[in-house]
Amino acid sequence: MPEVEVPLEKWTGKVNEVRLGGNGRQAVVVGGEATFPFLQFEGAIPNRPAVAIEVLDVQPTGWPSQLAAAWGNVLADPALWAKKAAEYGADIIALRLKSAHPEEGDTGAEEAKKTVDKVLAAMDLPLIVLGPEVAEKDNIVLVAASEAARGQRIALGNCEEKNYRTIGAACIADGHVAIAKTPIEINLAKQLNILLCDLGVSPESILMDPTTGALGYGLEYTYSVMERLRLACLTGDGMTSMPMICTVGEESWRQKESKSDIEVPATWGELEQRALIWEEMTASTLLNAGADIVVLRHPKTVEAIKATIDKLMG
Amino acid sequence: MALTGIEIYKFLPKTNCKKCGFPTCLAFAMKVSQKGVDITVCPDLSPEAKEALEAAGRPPIRLVTIGGDKRKIEVGNEVVMFRHEKTFYHPTGLMVRIKDSAPAEAIAKVAGEVAGYSVERVGMELALDGLALENESKDAATFVACVEAVKSKADLPLVLMSSDPAAMGAALEKAADGKPLIYAATKDNWDKMAELALKHGCPLAVHEAAGLGELAQLVEQINGAGIEDIVIDPGAHGFAQSLATLTQLRRLALKKSFRPLGYPIITFPGESSDTVEAEAVLAAQHVAKYAGIVVLDHFSPSMAYPLLTLRLNIYTDPQKPIQLTPKIYEIGAPKPDSPVCVTTNFSLTYFSIAGELESSGYPSWLLVADTEGLSVLTAWAAGKFDAEKIAKTVKDFNIAESISHRSLIIPGRVAVLRGELEEELPDWKIMVGPPEAMDIGGYLKKMWSA
Amino acid sequence: MSRFIATSAIQGAHAVFNEAEQLLAQAMEKLGPDTPVAFPNTAYYLPVIYSFTGHKVERLKDMAWPLEHARALLPPVPQDNLWLPYLGETLDSGVATLFAEEMIEGIRFALGEQPEVRNGFTYNGPIDDVQMRSWGIQMVDGRMPGFAALVGVAKSNEVAVKIVRELQSKGQLIFLCGNVNGRSIVDQLLEEGVELGYDTFTVPFGSDTISAVYALGYAARAAISFGNVAPGDFRQILLYNKFRCFAFVLALGQVDDLKYATAAGAISYGFPVMADTVIPNILPTGITQYEHVISLPFDDIPGKDDLERAERLVQRCIEVRGIKVKIAKVPIPVAYGPAFEGEVVRRDNLQAEFGGKGGLCFEWLTMKDMDEVEDGKFTVVGGDLDAFEEGAKVPLGIVVEVSGRKMQKDFEPVLERQIHHFINGAEGIQHIGQRDIAWLRFSKSAVAKGFRLKHLGDILHANFHNQFGAIVDKIQVTLHTDKAKVQELIEQARVVYQERNVRIAGLTDEAVDTYYSCTLCQSFAPNHVCIINPERVGLCGAYNWLDCRAAFEISPRGPNQPVPKGKVIDERLGEWEGVNQFVYEHSGMNVERFTIYSLMDSPMTTCGCCECVMVIIPEANGVMIISRDDYSMTPCGMTFTTLMGTVGGGMQTPGMMGHGKYYLLSKQFIPVQGGIKRVVWMSQNLKEELGEELKEICAAAGEPDLLDKIADASIATTVEELLPFLEEKGHPAPSMESLI
Repeated sequence: MPEVEVPLEKWTGKVNEVRLGGNGRQAVVVGGEATFPFLQFEGAIPNRPAVAIEVLDVQPTGWPSQLAAAWGNVLADPALWAKKAAEYGADIIALRLKSAHPEEGDTGAEEAKKTVDKVLAAMDLPLIVLGPEVAEKDNIVLVAASEAARGQRIALGNCEEKNYRTIGAACIADGHVAIAKTPIEINLAKQLNILLCDLGVSPESILMDPTTGALGYGLEYTYSVMERLRLACLTGDGMTSMPMICTVGEESWRQKESKSDIEVPATWGELEQRALIWEEMTASTLLNAGADIVVLRHPKTVEAIKATIDKLMG
Repeated sequence: MALTGIEIYKFLPKTNCKKCGFPTCLAFAMKVSQKGVDITVCPDLSPEAKEALEAAGRPPIRLVTIGGDKRKIEVGNEVVMFRHEKTFYHPTGLMVRIKDSAPAEAIAKVAGEVAGYSVERVGMELALDGLALENESKDAATFVACVEAVKSKADLPLVLMSSDPAAMGAALEKAADGKPLIYAATKDNWDKMAELALKHGCPLAVHEAAGLGELAQLVEQINGAGIEDIVIDPGAHGFAQSLATLTQLRRLALKKSFRPLGYPIITFPGESSDTVEAEAVLAAQHVAKYAGIVVLDHFSPSMAYPLLTLRLNIYTDPQKPIQLTPKIYEIGAPKPDSPVCVTTNFSLTYFSIAGELESSGYPSWLLVADTEGLSVLTAWAAGKFDAEKIAKTVKDFNIAESISHRSLIIPGRVAVLRGELEEELPDWKIMVGPPEAMDIGGYLKKMWSA
Repeated sequence: MSRFIATSAIQGAHAVFNEAEQLLAQAMEKLGPDTPVAFPNTAYYLPVIYSFTGHKVERLKDMAWPLEHARALLPPVPQDNLWLPYLGETLDSGVATLFAEEMIEGIRFALGEQPEVRNGFTYNGPIDDVQMRSWGIQMVDGRMPGFAALVGVAKSNEVAVKIVRELQSKGQLIFLCGNVNGRSIVDQLLEEGVELGYDTFTVPFGSDTISAVYALGYAARAAISFGNVAPGDFRQILLYNKFRCFAFVLALGQVDDLKYATAAGAISYGFPVMADTVIPNILPTGITQYEHVISLPFDDIPGKDDLERAERLVQRCIEVRGIKVKIAKVPIPVAYGPAFEGEVVRRDNLQAEFGGKGGLCFEWLTMKDMDEVEDGKFTVVGGDLDAFEEGAKVPLGIVVEVSGRKMQKDFEPVLERQIHHFINGAEGIQHIGQRDIAWLRFSKSAVAKGFRLKHLGDILHANFHNQFGAIVDKIQVTLHTDKAKVQELIEQARVVYQERNVRIAGLTDEAVDTYYSCTLCQSFAPNHVCIINPERVGLCGAYNWLDCRAAFEISPRGPNQPVPKGKVIDERLGEWEGVNQFVYEHSGMNVERFTIYSLMDSPMTTCGCCECVMVIIPEANGVMIISRDDYSMTPCGMTFTTLMGTVGGGMQTPGMMGHGKYYLLSKQFIPVQGGIKRVVWMSQNLKEELGEELKEICAAAGEPDLLDKIADASIATTVEELLPFLEEKGHPAPSMESLI
């Protein structure tokens, strides 16, 4: 019988371990992988990827009916929603402060603080707080959220090149984790990590978000950037060694494939299953590219992806 | 170490005879160095050169063709572990399994549906690649009947699945012209299956789940029988095991040039899945992580469409992004007073803008100019997205006919084109949109009135 | 170190230490050793003591240890007859002073004497933690450049107000304390009705010098909160403040011993001290980023009145601390933004134009010394926009003078090229060209809205600060419309342009020891690294060596990194150890060797955006060059697109290489292969575009007619067509040394 010796790579680096929560809340540690995703035959994978459920601080508008129906009344109240999400098996709650967007209510620091307080009180999972993605408003509401959650080690996102200083500073001051978002470019991702570290954020307090788009909407860019980031990390580049978070639900459910049953070709198939597979496939593909946290929207996807992660972790 | 184009060129006859289909020996050599064409295509290669080059140039994973002249797929011949290193060349073949014990109507229905299924995405027609017919009945006649029924409904590449060489032989009598994949040679039947493969000139799948060593041994035996067109089935089930096994196989082929396992892999994700969604997700993993052929146990458009989309994504050449067909794209159901935006035909640019327009609440006309797949700034810098090109796009597609206004929104990144565009399109009001797609919704809210 | 300052500071330290010691003894007796001591709303105890030593003062008795610690730091007062290097002692006494001052304030709190109330006004006392974090974030993210501690009393109320307003306009946080003979800047501001408090970024700590310690307490807490510095790690606390906290002390009025002592404490934090009176300067840098102590006697400051002197005083303080100015909004009366870049000002809307056909217009950016440039000074010499008749064509000279600690002469052209882009952002103003072919058009509506030439200064000032703050500290702009003057200046400018041309031409690979990288394209060509040497532009044509050098100064973490050449491996091939190592590390370990002078041996890789591709034609023993604008078939049997498919993506492909079109004019054009004489085929558009310059290059290579011997697509698109042409013309390549 021919001798088969599977080539093992001798990686010199590993992903940083980042803890969220703790201090009275449940703690989730992500990262720590010493090889490519789920290749346990080659290196240690001390922590399973975590599943976060996205919660909005305003009743979502324009959500497809099956997604809205899956949550029902709790959509009107982020605290109830978060509680329900915890029941549905979330490891982490990702609270999006959408109401702070100038066109979604333009709420400010006070409201953000109240919402964060309320959501933190409603459940004991670790929290991620995401701003409305308008730099000036992100700065206001994320700083308020940071203060409200002082000591709870939440993650704050997103730091981008134009506002990483403010959010990074808030993370340092209040002991939180910064989410660094850069699209489709490994060097930009690395540069932002370096800038955050220069600012004083410790490498163990940074997550990277390389998300670009869902399945069919640029997924391959995210996929390859993530593989490249992981490769750089494993070959010893400390500035690409941050665990990765992907906002899968948000990207998936905004696309026509997940929303529309009319005016689409029959070959797209039945909407309900198509939409679920869309979110699940986006999530599983990015997990295979190295995602450490996937942020999801539909409870059924959460169930399916948790089961997939169980299987992948063996 | 792969040879460079120049090194290969030195071995060539340097006659520029064009018999290989390339205009010069150098062009041919360059293509060979990228493993885009086999060195044996050169008819005038000296034996010494041939030997030297074949050793260096032989693909680490064999390219295997399934199917006859009309419809066939090629799988294998991959050269990298990660698509960013070069590209994944040969998209995973996606097939649907039909069991011969199913009722005849059911067989005909699935065969017809799979054969007829085709979905359009970014100007490309995506379709499934074939059918796998399984001799679940263990009865040769039933198997043959199934093969014939399917052939009458579907002109697709086939996988014939039976462990019984007699049943396989009978089926091949009917189907060999379509060069189906024979599934599968095992350690119990390999000699007979090999005979069939040789006789009919069909590729042969080799199934051995006991271990990679055992699989390699069986492959070597079959190689010994004179068969090279092989697809391997390591019998890896489930998410973790198949990921590990398929990764190891790809590494053995690429990094160790381990010949006995340098073949495309076939998987059956449905066998370890409880739900259709789970099967789809596992199939997706196999597409991304190293399967040559994936045989599904279910077919529905709602699982096929995402899976085909994923395959398109993963097998897109990272250095040659998907280009959109330049034309007018309707986002939502635009009316004559809806906004008109213009952008480039780089797929990612299109997707981000189409996505934002889609969720903006403003149905819109999106004019896509031919910039050879370059993004806005790159195309502008390369002179492929200038005022002239935009004006030509506006005129050629005659968007004016569909709208009641004359306002054109150009990307904020090419604001510099406004003045020139006003000259090119004197009847139009040129509006400068935001530099980031993300801000389109807000921009329309603030600025748009027809 | 100034003997005078050292002596004063040490004397002051002794005095305030004695005061603290006595006060502590009294308080212990009166209140008892277990009496709590705390600044309100802070988790950092007495923050200076806590941050330096990790020692927590929670009760009066907890002060015993820091008191002894301070005592140990106190050096003896210098004797008249003994000269010692005093720096260390002075800084130690400064720290002892801060300890003593902080204990005094702590005891005052225990006694209920803080915050201070004076003349009916309640001072702020220490800053609470919530406010510290809020401002801390703004200091870290750069919205707030730093803080200024004003100690003493200004020359007049008017000057006090002006200083505060100037600092506010620059976004500085202002701390106020101290007095001179019982009169304080706080009194001055209150008398003038200036609103003081957190909301206006002005914090009155107290009326005495001791309360200045609150400023250092604030800085110490910021370092712990934002610098991840552990309390007790005093070295890191001080370093954090030196490099991250842009603070300075401005002593107003007479400086007494206690102020010197307190100032010594501030200097140990890296905060420079300025005084508006005559005191000895301490210039050598080291502890602070730049100068330590600067005397700027108020009445000696140039200026037409006290207000202007106050303004300059603040400007100078900001310079000394190295604070960078950001301008949020370009202050001009028309809209400004990238959306207006493409705007055209047409004849019927033209108010005035400068330059263009037959006109006279130039722009010239030049570097000056720091004291030669007054930041934000815009001067118009000659008539302004509203002085000309409609549609007039007027001469214009735009002279931009910049200075900066990191500015270099070589950056002048890099910055000057930005003028076009900056000015074009203004609504109703169109800018074309550069140098002495600049052409500006102003629309009627812009002028009607109040746009004047001075506003060009505003535009350039704001943009250079915002985008090039890393290399530019001060900008002043002069706009000349007087014909004779423009004529005179344009001649000077032309000399400079010519000098720059010569400089660029003379910039050789040999003359520098560092090349630059460009990894911008790794997004789609992950293993590609451009190495840009003085004699080869980036292959996209967009970056030359000087651009990269400036880009690195501006964005030290960006895609253009210095690549030290290191030890030479092969002079002829252009192979260096440093370059090899850099390329290896940044190409995902894919490219192990890299030469800059050879097409055949480990040539540079190509991303995908090169202007031209060069490929060998072995049959002709030469190379061909195709431009990306050329769609034709070529004698190598491949079109540009096919060639890109082969050479692009960061793979090393000997015999093929992407390059910028100006590389053709380089003296180091594939020297290993024999340079320009190797070129047997070239895209027509390259011949046309580079014609004259190419001819010179050919002549210099001893082949004046070479260009006519080089084929293009109109002559040959196959090898079979090419070879006879070369033979007929007598092209040198076929008889040169064999390429392969």
